[in-house]
Formats: sequence, structure tokens, C-alpha cells
Amino acid sequence: MDRPSDRRFVGRALAGCPRTVVVGLGNPVLGDDGVGWCVADAVEEWLRAAAAAGLELPPVAVERLGVGGLRLMEFLTGFDEAIVVDAADFAERPAGEVRARRFEEMERRAVGRLDSVHDVSLAAALELGRRAGAELPATIWVVTVVARMTGVFSEALTPPVEAAVPIAAGEVVRLLGLPRADDWPIPHGPGGG
Amino acid sequence: MERITIDPITRLEGHGKIEVFLDKQGEVANAYFQVPELRGFERFCVGRPVEEMPTLTNRICGVCPEAHHIAAAKAADAVYKVDPPRTAKMLRELLYSAFYVTDHTTHFYALGGPDFVVGPDAPAAERNILGVIAKVGMDIGGKVIEARRGNHRVIEIIGGRKIHPAAAVPGGMTSAINEEQRAEIEKIARQSVEFGQFSLDLFDKIVLGNDAFRELVLGDTYYHRTYYIGLLDADKKVNFYDGKVGVMSPDGERIGIYAPAEYRDWIAEHVEPWTYLKFPFLKKVGWKGFTDGVDSGVYCATPLSRLNAADGMATPLAQAAYERFYETLAPKPESGGKRIVHHRLATHWARLIELLYAAERMVELVTDPEITSPDVRAVPTEKPTEGVAIVEAPRGTLTHHYWTDERGVLTKVNLIVGTTNNYAPISMSIKKAAEAFIHKGQVNQGLLNRVEMAFRLYDPCLGCATHSLPGQMPLQVVIRDADGEVVDDLSQHC
Repeated sequence: MDRPSDRRFVGRALAGCPRTVVVGLGNPVLGDDGVGWCVADAVEEWLRAAAAAGLELPPVAVERLGVGGLRLMEFLTGFDEAIVVDAADFAERPAGEVRARRFEEMERRAVGRLDSVHDVSLAAALELGRRAGAELPATIWVVTVVARMTGVFSEALTPPVEAAVPIAAGEVVRLLGLPRADDWPIPHGPGGG
Repeated sequence: MERITIDPITRLEGHGKIEVFLDKQGEVANAYFQVPELRGFERFCVGRPVEEMPTLTNRICGVCPEAHHIAAAKAADAVYKVDPPRTAKMLRELLYSAFYVTDHTTHFYALGGPDFVVGPDAPAAERNILGVIAKVGMDIGGKVIEARRGNHRVIEIIGGRKIHPAAAVPGGMTSAINEEQRAEIEKIARQSVEFGQFSLDLFDKIVLGNDAFRELVLGDTYYHRTYYIGLLDADKKVNFYDGKVGVMSPDGERIGIYAPAEYRDWIAEHVEPWTYLKFPFLKKVGWKGFTDGVDSGVYCATPLSRLNAADGMATPLAQAAYERFYETLAPKPESGGKRIVHHRLATHWARLIELLYAAERMVELVTDPEITSPDVRAVPTEKPTEGVAIVEAPRGTLTHHYWTDERGVLTKVNLIVGTTNNYAPISMSIKKAAEAFIHKGQVNQGLLNRVEMAFRLYDPCLGCATHSLPGQMPLQVVIRDADGEVVDDLSQHC
């Protein structure tokens, strides 16, 4: 299975700097923990395919990151809107379940890697950034995929999580406000075919 | 026997757990720091080309990818017996020094510093960087953000990526920097020097200027006499990128200096039944249990250790700070002749001295006339075999050891990561702090935070073990009676 690359700014087909960023969070070599990167790849593939087909797209930056907290806040700086995709370990929820919520509406904000316990919570990092005058997104969406195997080094996702990659990517595309015709195939992500 | 569990530890990358067992009188009987092993990385690498290691190992951990990237590139150099051009080495060290500035900045202002600036008894929700700026002023927040931003930019320029740098390869670097980039880096480096001096001044004012904190630092609770290791340059000064490892005894005698390839002559690992993680110790001294002293092989590998293991710092401002550090905390030399600071909370001070050194070193490197030379790679021509490399990661000495077949395909990998070195001393520090602060079964958040301070000073990072967690990062304290029943349950969310 190929894994995510570090391609960025695929949506630069149109003039202007991206005002929206999609960030895949996680460790790409730690099993299901890498699902955020896979979704970022799938979104990028979709944007590429749509642009190649002549669909007019607003520029969207696609990033991948291993930690949250201050580093994530720094990655969000300069954007109007952000969509963060992360693995979540809700034991009571089925593996592969995809949910999208506004960050401020999340009951449990420290899902997955949004927070870095190495520095501060994302909420604290955003507050710090705003007080320091950083231009931070007014809207932050968090798309979570319920993961299972996150403690063993592996490049493979478990089947239910791999199956969730196109679903989560579709959710990101929907949040981006982009048209989604039935004949626009959402890529299945690495190895998903 | 009662049992107190702190799980997971707040502000620690990864998932760790402290368990404190009380006897029937409510005094501390024992304390354990447990770390779940993340399985299989070394096996995961076997069968891959060694050239992949610099970009593969930097994904072990989101916190310190630069350390693994540089260590892996150096180990691959050793596998191919290739000596990179001088400019390539300088670029690697420049990138690495910028990483040090960001990492030490983050630790002091977001992790270790709040205990002092806001106070150890402050609510956990305030013991963070927001609490720091509330106490000292927003100006600090801006400086921290700027220091991180600038040095991440340096990493991006040299490493080729914002995260997970990819520029260091066997034999050197994939690309050189031009004059425009050099000038940009120089500006950031000089700003970082100012920031390092500012941070040391702040420590002086906030910590050393406060009698209570000074007493906490100099008291017996956070004090251990162990061995110390650290990478030394040819003049036996602290170096993060290259050199040999100095081993300093608690009595101030340097008992040896070993080359990376000799690490197995010096370091062995002890196994305990209650944890998967092994405890490295000095082979030549031997494992005598979790105990201090010259007869115990327990060693420490931290900013404090690096200063103790060295004869000084290689840059002028850091050297001045180094001298003040020892004049303040260890005015008299030990019997072995070297002044040693055994006060573990002084690690925060040592970290800031290293921050200043890293910034000064950046200026030295970026103003070297050869830094923009296009000669940045020596193409490997030797048959690959085996190689070892050591760098100083912010959290401790990082060793990468690779074995390959004649095609350069990995057949075996051994890594000793920074925090692992400190597993035994962390465990000892936690127990000692618990013994000092928990009596008659009485615990509260302030006391527990003082126990946490005992491991936080090591800046432990189990980033590889960070996993997707539900909900808040709780500090959960469970007290159990002799029958295992929960008699109290304290928790906080930060």
C-alpha cells in the first residue's frame, strides 16, 4: 500500500492563496492512527481529479501533521477556515465511524492528536495565537474516524477504517462546499482502489 | 496497601502512568512509572533500504522528527562508510540547532515553566502557557510564537519540508542553501540569541529571585547523585550533532569517553517484571537497583547531564551562563575534580542554557563562508555493512544502529531513544517526590503536581506511543485500600 506523500496546495489551480486548509493529523506509520493522512491524500486526489476535469475550485491547502497543540495552531494560521481530520478512539463507537463537528461544539476537545500533551491543548494554543494577533480560522471543523489499532507500527489501516477513508474524504469535500456529483468518484485512499 | 494512580500523566507526550502504593499508615511504600511499549518499529524497518531510514524514522514521533532524521542520516553514513562534505555537516547541524531552539522553547514555556511562573499549587487549567502570559504579560506569548515560527522556517528551508524533513541523506544533503536563504536564517538565528538571553533573564527573575522556588530547586527532594552522559566535541564541550559520549561519575570524575560504535561496551539494559520498557544502565558499573551513588550504574541523559558531562559550552554567551550555573548551584568541585549539579529541577535552567547555545551555534554556522557551498554530498561508493550514530536529542542521547546486507537492505535495527535513557532516574525521582509529599494518605492536586514535576523536568516524550485518545487528558488519581476498593477518586482535566 502506498502511503501519503507530502504534496501540498493542490487546489492552486485557481489564482490566489488558499483561504481554507485541510489538515490530516496522525502518525502515518502507526496503523489506524494514520487515517487522517490517508483522508488528506484522498481529498487531494479528489481535488486533482476535479481540477483536471475542468471543475472550478477554490484553492485549498492540504497539509499533514503529526502533533496537535501549538504546532497545529501554527499550521492553521493565515486561513479563514480549517478542516482537521483525526483518528478517534471512542471505544463505545464502531470502528470506521465518521463524524464531523465544529471544534467549539465538541464535548471532548482533546480527541486524538488535536491536543499535544507535549505542549498545550489546541484550545489553549488557539487562545494564545489569537491574543498574540495571529490570523486564525473563524471556523474549525473536526472530522473524526473511529480507529482501533493505534499501538503497532504498520502502514496498513484495519479494514473498517480503510473503508471509512472515502466516506471521511467525502465529508471533507462536503464541508469545503464543493459540488459532489454522482459521477465524481471520491478516491478510496491509498490501497483502497 | 492503598494505591494511587496518575494516568495518563498530564503534559507528557504519549501515554504513561504513575502508580503510587501506600502502606497501612498511608506512607509511600513504592512508586512506579509505567510506559506501554509501542510494538514493532525496529522490526517494521527490517527489509527496507537503509536510505529510507532518515525519512522513515522521523515519523516515529511527531515531537522530535528532526532528531531521528539526523541520527538516521548519520547512521546511514556509517553504514556506507561515507564522510559527508563539511558544508553538509554544517547544514545538518544548523537545522538541528534550530530544532533545539523550538523544542526547548516549547518545554520551558508550555511544560516546565508554568510550574514556576504560575506556581505548583495553581489549578491545572492555569498551569500552562496561558497562565504564564496572564502572570508575566502577553509580550512573552508573542516572543514564544515568533521563536517557534522563525526556527520552524529554518527547518523548512534546510529540510525541504515544514514537518518530517527529508534533506539529509547518506553522504550529505540533497540540496544547498543560497545567499538569500542564508541571510534569512542569519536574521532568525540572531533573534534566537536574543530570545535565549531573554529566557535566561526570565528564569533568573522568576525562579532564582523567588526564595520558595530557590529552596525547591536546591532542596533534597529533587536531588539524585547519578552518573551523567552527554555528547562532547573534541574540546569536551557540549555538542548536539557529533562527537563522542562522555561519562561523568556522580563524584565528578569522567570515567570514560566512548565513540558511537562502542555504545554496547558501555550501555546495557535491565528488565523489570512490571514494565515492558527496559532500563539502560552503565555496563562497566553494573545494575544495583534504583539507587543513587557511584556504585550504581543508573545514569541520566538530559540537558543537566550534558552540562555535567562536559567541560563547558562552545559558544561565549552560553559559556558565561554555564559558569554562572555552576557558581550558583555547585560552587565547589566534587572529589573527582569537576563541579556537578545534582539538583534535578535545575534541568530547566540547563535547558535554557542549551537553548542559548543552540542559537549561538546557529549564528556561527550560518556565517561560515562555506555554508552556501554547493558541495553538499559525497556519493556513497563503499559496500554497506553496519553503522552506528549518536546525536543528542533534546530529551537525551539518541542512538541508531543499523545492520544491512550488501545491497543496503536492513537486516537488523536497534534504537535507544532519548527518554529511554532516563527511565530509571525518572522512576527514582517520582518515588522520592512521592515520599516527600504524600503522608498519612493525604493527597491533593498541589502535592500530586509536585510529584509530576519530578518527571516533567526530564521532558519525557513517549510521542511514538501517542495514540488516539477519547476526550480530555485527565489526571486521574485513584486511591485504593488494601482490598483494592476505590476509596477516593480525584480527577482534573487540562
